[in-house]
Order: sequence, then structure tokens, then C-alpha cells
Amino acid sequence: MFTRLIGESLSRNPRRKLLTAAALVAGMAVATATLTIALEVGDRLAHEFRSFGANLLVTPQSDTLPVEIGGVDYRPVDEGAYLNEADLGKLKTIFWRHNIEGFTPFLDVPAFVPEAGGVATVVGTWYQHDVPVPDGTTFKTGVSITHPSWKMDGRWFHDSADECVVGSALAAKFPTEIKIGKTIAVGRDEKSGPARTLLITGIVSTGDAEDRTVLVPLSIAQNLSHHPGQFRSLFVSALTKPADALAERGEMALNDQNIQLTPTEYDRWFCSPYISSISYQIKTVLPGTDVRTIRRVAETEGRVLSRVGTLLWIVTLAALIAAALAVAATSATTVLERRSEIGLMKALGAGNSTVTGLFLLEQLLLALAGGAVGFIVGAALARILGSSVFGTPASPQFILLPIILGLAAVVALVGSLIPLRRAAHLRPALILRGQ
Amino acid sequence: MFWRLVFQLLRGNSGRLTVAILALVSGAAVISGLLNLELGVEYQLTQQFRTLGANVVIAPKADQPAPESALGDSALMNEDAVLNSVGQITGPSVWFAPFAYVIARANDAPVVAVGTWLDQVRNLDPTWKLEGNWISSRDDLEQCLVGRNAAKQLHLVTGRRLRLQYLSRTAECSVAGIFDSGAAEDNQVFMSLRALQTLADLPGKISLVQLNVSGGPKVIAKVAGQLSEVLPQFQVRPIREVTEAQGALLGRIRLLIVTMIVLILILTVLCVVATMAALAIERRADIGLMKALGGSISRIVGFFVAEVGLLGAAGGLIGAIMGVALSYWMGVRVFDTPIPPRWEVFPVTILLMTIVAMAGVLPLRMLGEVKPAIMLRGD
Repeated sequence: MFTRLIGESLSRNPRRKLLTAAALVAGMAVATATLTIALEVGDRLAHEFRSFGANLLVTPQSDTLPVEIGGVDYRPVDEGAYLNEADLGKLKTIFWRHNIEGFTPFLDVPAFVPEAGGVATVVGTWYQHDVPVPDGTTFKTGVSITHPSWKMDGRWFHDSADECVVGSALAAKFPTEIKIGKTIAVGRDEKSGPARTLLITGIVSTGDAEDRTVLVPLSIAQNLSHHPGQFRSLFVSALTKPADALAERGEMALNDQNIQLTPTEYDRWFCSPYISSISYQIKTVLPGTDVRTIRRVAETEGRVLSRVGTLLWIVTLAALIAAALAVAATSATTVLERRSEIGLMKALGAGNSTVTGLFLLEQLLLALAGGAVGFIVGAALARILGSSVFGTPASPQFILLPIILGLAAVVALVGSLIPLRRAAHLRPALILRGQ
Repeated sequence: MFWRLVFQLLRGNSGRLTVAILALVSGAAVISGLLNLELGVEYQLTQQFRTLGANVVIAPKADQPAPESALGDSALMNEDAVLNSVGQITGPSVWFAPFAYVIARANDAPVVAVGTWLDQVRNLDPTWKLEGNWISSRDDLEQCLVGRNAAKQLHLVTGRRLRLQYLSRTAECSVAGIFDSGAAEDNQVFMSLRALQTLADLPGKISLVQLNVSGGPKVIAKVAGQLSEVLPQFQVRPIREVTEAQGALLGRIRLLIVTMIVLILILTVLCVVATMAALAIERRADIGLMKALGGSISRIVGFFVAEVGLLGAAGGLIGAIMGVALSYWMGVRVFDTPIPPRWEVFPVTILLMTIVAMAGVLPLRMLGEVKPAIMLRGD
């Protein structure tokens, strides 16, 4: 009898439920979409932040003090320590290896370049280089990943070819000699003469010291400086989590013997992708190095990420409240619209609890169906939102489904309970008369 | 007569109206709060990005020798001429400082000495971690700041004296603080510009000026454009690579927030419409009575539209005030500085709520076809 009544009610007058159903679907879709985005936004934005470039710098520990102004090292080539290129694959073996987006070695060599007015700095690096990883795979990395903001006019060099890319400031200084398609000669110094002839494939603008240098494949710079298989500094781009109290304690514990983390704290710190724990892990696989956080990038990232995260959670909360209000308001309207029905039921002898139960069950069924449809619509919405904002669609979070269904049910029930109670207290005759 | 009736209607139904007003006020609060947040968020976010450091550099033109490689006069700029122009063009929201470099010797090891306004270092590079004290006066010739690596190599701690030698001249200062920047500055010694100019015997000369301009890529490009107009003899270079990455990221964050706000807006409108529709349904009996007394349906609907319009405007005003207060709180909570109220938010919210509330009662027009007797019976 009870189920038949509900079945009848749901099938008979679908137009009446349309408003509630629409509000449920819309409200739950927005709730799903905002929650999906809010859950993912930290990772997405951290990824976006890599467009500012690397956030870790690895240099040899025993190095003499670099005498560097505007990125040009004035030390002789033979001075200072070097790092081994062969060790780089180990970076992809650390605990947070998947958070290492890329790394690029640099080797600065003062060289003789007749086309650039004599002495110029030649910087050896990788554009897209296959690095062998100890587990047998290879990892493609280079400035294409660690320095995405560099602007290229032309194309980058191939890492194995006799090609080069010239910084924009240097190119502007010698507009006739340095052009894409022309060649330049590089040598160790004026006496030994040019050792290699390189084809200029592009002019790069970096906004930094590299604008005044010639960028060449790493192996060519190693040949020039007589340091085969070696480099001087390494830029690492890693996905990190904004620092919190634990991250700061972990960092302090590394520098200060007096501060000790408890074993659980240490595990939590080690197993969180904080910039301090990643740099510690890099240091353990590359002994004898100094791993520094590029504070300008890392701190800005941390600040913006945590603030935007909080902001989005507030907006998500507003969305949830708006969804709840919309569903509650429409549920209340639906019940109000059907007051005469309630009056009729009561006149025919139905008790308050039967009427309330009937309506609530109906609303519950509606809420579950509306919530499920809303979840699907919301997941689609999140996909579109994800791809329009971040370029890649957000994947549906199925963990949200029970939360959304529960929310829909609670909100719809609460919304209809209040007008139902009011209707139940009225005398059927009055309701039927329409007062 | 019309307005008296409208007010009578408002007074007579105070109980039911409470719910409607509640919906209107909360809807308006959410809308105005988010609107105000959206208008203020760009400024707040660009403030956050200032920690990326300098975004405009003024240096000698590229066809002259690079300022760093040689300290010959041709590669240097005249301090007074440049700084006066920069000071005139830029407002208080632009931080800038002159820089001069020299490779000096300390304990017979070469080290890069940087001369600058030491009080501005903290503004230009807010992310430096300092052990010791910042230097508060740019005329303090006695103190200097030392980079982390330089301090390690030269065995310096805070409070020690550092002796720098350049050709036959020497300069001495006491180490006020040791900083960690994670960049090339870690290998350098920062001293007062005046002290460095004396050491290098280049009075009144600087190598470059760094500016930290607050704002998006457009603002930065505008400031750079103005500067290159008054300083045609120098190269004014916005660090495009940084500002563009910043602009792209800002755009994404704003797009995300705007989309979420639009979604919330739709829901809020839906909520208000539903509440208003409920109000209209409850009024069916009143309409029947009015019609029976000879009112035309358009006039009757007019009453209700005017009534809810008033309600909407009132709810919109109260809600807008609450919403602006809400965004003020959000600003303090998220960005540590309040988001100031924008006046545009008030008319937009009030207008929107009025329209939405009126739209909610429009279904009443359908009642025009119904006979008053039937309506009074309550069918």
C-alpha cells in the first residue's frame, strides 16, 4: 500500500517534482564539481608553478666560492669542483622520484668565440636528453622541462648535434654575425684556435644571465673545458607540497643537532613531498653536494598555493551552502504546493506520521536519484572545468559519490520536514479549503 | 492606493515573509561576498607574487660592454640621473634599488661585493632567510650582509668584521646578518652603495637598477614603457619570462574562481526563485479574493511584483553589506589583509536580487486564466 502510494505519486505528476529534481541535480552537480576541483587543485597548481622554473639547485659541496656576477662565473675553468653526469639517473630512484619533474645540468666555460667579439661564456646544457635510470628505463629531461619560461626564436639544438643557441642580448650585440642558420666557431682560447663549428638554430631570451651566453649541448662544453662527463650545477624542478610546521621542523633538524624529530615525525616528514625532504633525499643519492632551495620560487609557490587552496575551500563551502539552500527551498516549495493533497489524505483518515513518512520517503527517493544524476553531471562539469582551466580534465572522484548522496538526502529531508510539520498541524478541512 | 496595498501586504504576512527575506539576504550575501572577492583577488594575488623578486631591470644598452665584465665608465650609469627619473615615474607601490658590483678580495680569496641600498634589499627579495639583523638605513656604511656560502668560505659569523680589498683600497664593515637566498647572492657580500663606490673609486656610478613592480604583466609593461621613454639611453627590460608565467598562472586562478562563482550564482538564483514561488503559491487565496472584488489580474500581479521587488531590494541591500563584511573577513583569513569593499558590488547585488525576486513571482501570471471562485475554493 505504502509503496504503491509512492509509486503512484512519483509516476502520476512528474511536473510537480520537476523543480525539486532540477534543484537537486543542479545543486549536487555544482557541489560535486567544486569538491572535485578543490581536491585536485593543489596538485594542479603545483604543476602550473613549474612554469616558473626549477626550485632546487645542486652544486658541489667542496666548491670554492663562485665569483659570479649576473650568472657569469669569473673563476678559471680548472678551479672548483665538478659533479658527475653519470650519477644523475639516481635522482629518479629517491622516494619522491615521481615528483622530480625534471633536472638539467649546466657547465659554464669561458671560451673563445670570434663571431661574438672574442671571449664569451659558453654554457653546456641539455635540451631533451635521455638519462639512463638505474632501474633500466630512461628519463627525458632538460631545459624544456626545468626552464619552460625561456622564450625561443627558432628551435633548440639537438643534444647530439654540432648546434648551438645564442642568448638574445649577445645576438643583439652582433646582429650581422649571429643569425639563425649561420655558424659560429668556438675554441678553448685564442691561442688554440676554434675547435668546433656550430650551427645557430635559435635565439633564446631567458630574462637572466644566459641572455649573454652561447648555449651548447653539454657534451660540447665538456670537450671545450676538458671535463668529460662532468658539470658544475644542476637545476631540479620538483613538485612539492607547501611547507607547514612539520616541514620547518624537519628543515631545522637537518641543520641543527639540538632539534630531533621523533621517529613518527621523521617518517611523516620523509614521506611528505616537502621541498626540504626532497632536497634531503637528493643529497643522499648525490653525496658531496649542496642542495639549495631556490627560495624565490619555492616560497612564492608555497605562499600562493596555500592561500589559493584556502580560498578555494571557502568558495567550495559557499557552493555547498548555496546547493543546500537551493535544494531545501525547492523541497519546501514542493511540499507547500501539495498541501491540499495532504489535507485530503488526512481527511481520509491518514495519521500525521503516515503522511510525513510518505512524503519524506518520496523526497528521499527523489534526493537519491537527483544526487546520482547530479554527481554524473558534476563529474562532467569538473572535466570541462579542469580542461578549460588547467588543460587536462579532472578525473571523477568516486569517493565523493556517497558524500553527495548523503548531502542530497539530508538537505532534501530537512527542507521538506519544516513545511510538512506545519502542514500536519493544520486541520484538514482548512487546508482543503485552501487557507 | 497601490503602495498602501503593497505595504499592507508586506505587514500582513510577516511570518511567511521572514523565510523569503532570509533566502534573499543569504543569497545576496553570498553573491556580493564572492563578487567583492573576485574584484579584489587579482590585487591580493599579485601582492603574493611580489616575492618572486625584481621584475624590471634598468641596465646600460646591450651594444655597450656588459656592465659586469668591466667596470669601465662606459658600462656604468649615472646614479643621480637614473634614480631621479625612476623616483618620479613610479609610485610608492614600486620598490627599487641601484646595484653596483666589483670583484674584491677577502682573505686573498676573490668574492663579489655588491653595493646597494641595504634597507631595500628586504623589499626586493622578501624570501631571503636572515640570521642576524636587517640593516635599516641605506647610509649605514659600517654594516654589511653576507651570503650563506660566502660566510662559510670566509669563516664569518654575525658581528665579525670583514675586510675587503680592491686594488690598493680597502673597506671594512661588520657583519650584521647572514642570509640564505638559494640563488647566486649566497656567494656575495652586500654592502652600502656609498661604501662600494668608495672602494671601487667610482663615485656616483651604478651598474643596474632593479625594480619590483606590483601588478600584472600589463602594469609591469606600462611602467617599463614609461621608464624607457624618460631613459632612452638605457635598456629598460621587464623580466618577461617571469611576468608572463605569473600572468598565465593568475589568469588560471581567476578563471577557476570566476567559474565557481558563476555556478554558485546560478544556485543562489534558483534558491531565491524557489522561495519566491513558494510565497506566490501561498498567496493564491489572496489573489482569488482580489479578483473577486474586481481587480484585474495584471493589476494584482503588479502588486505582488512590486511587493517582492521591494523585498528583493531590501534583502539585496542587507545582504550586500553582509557579503562585503564576509569578503573583508575572507581577505584577512586568506591574505592577511582585508579586501576593501567595492561600491560597484552594491548596485549590482541589489539590482540582481530585485530582478530575481520578481522573476520568482511571475508564474502568478498563469493564474490569470483561473476563475476566482475556483481559486477561492483552494483548488
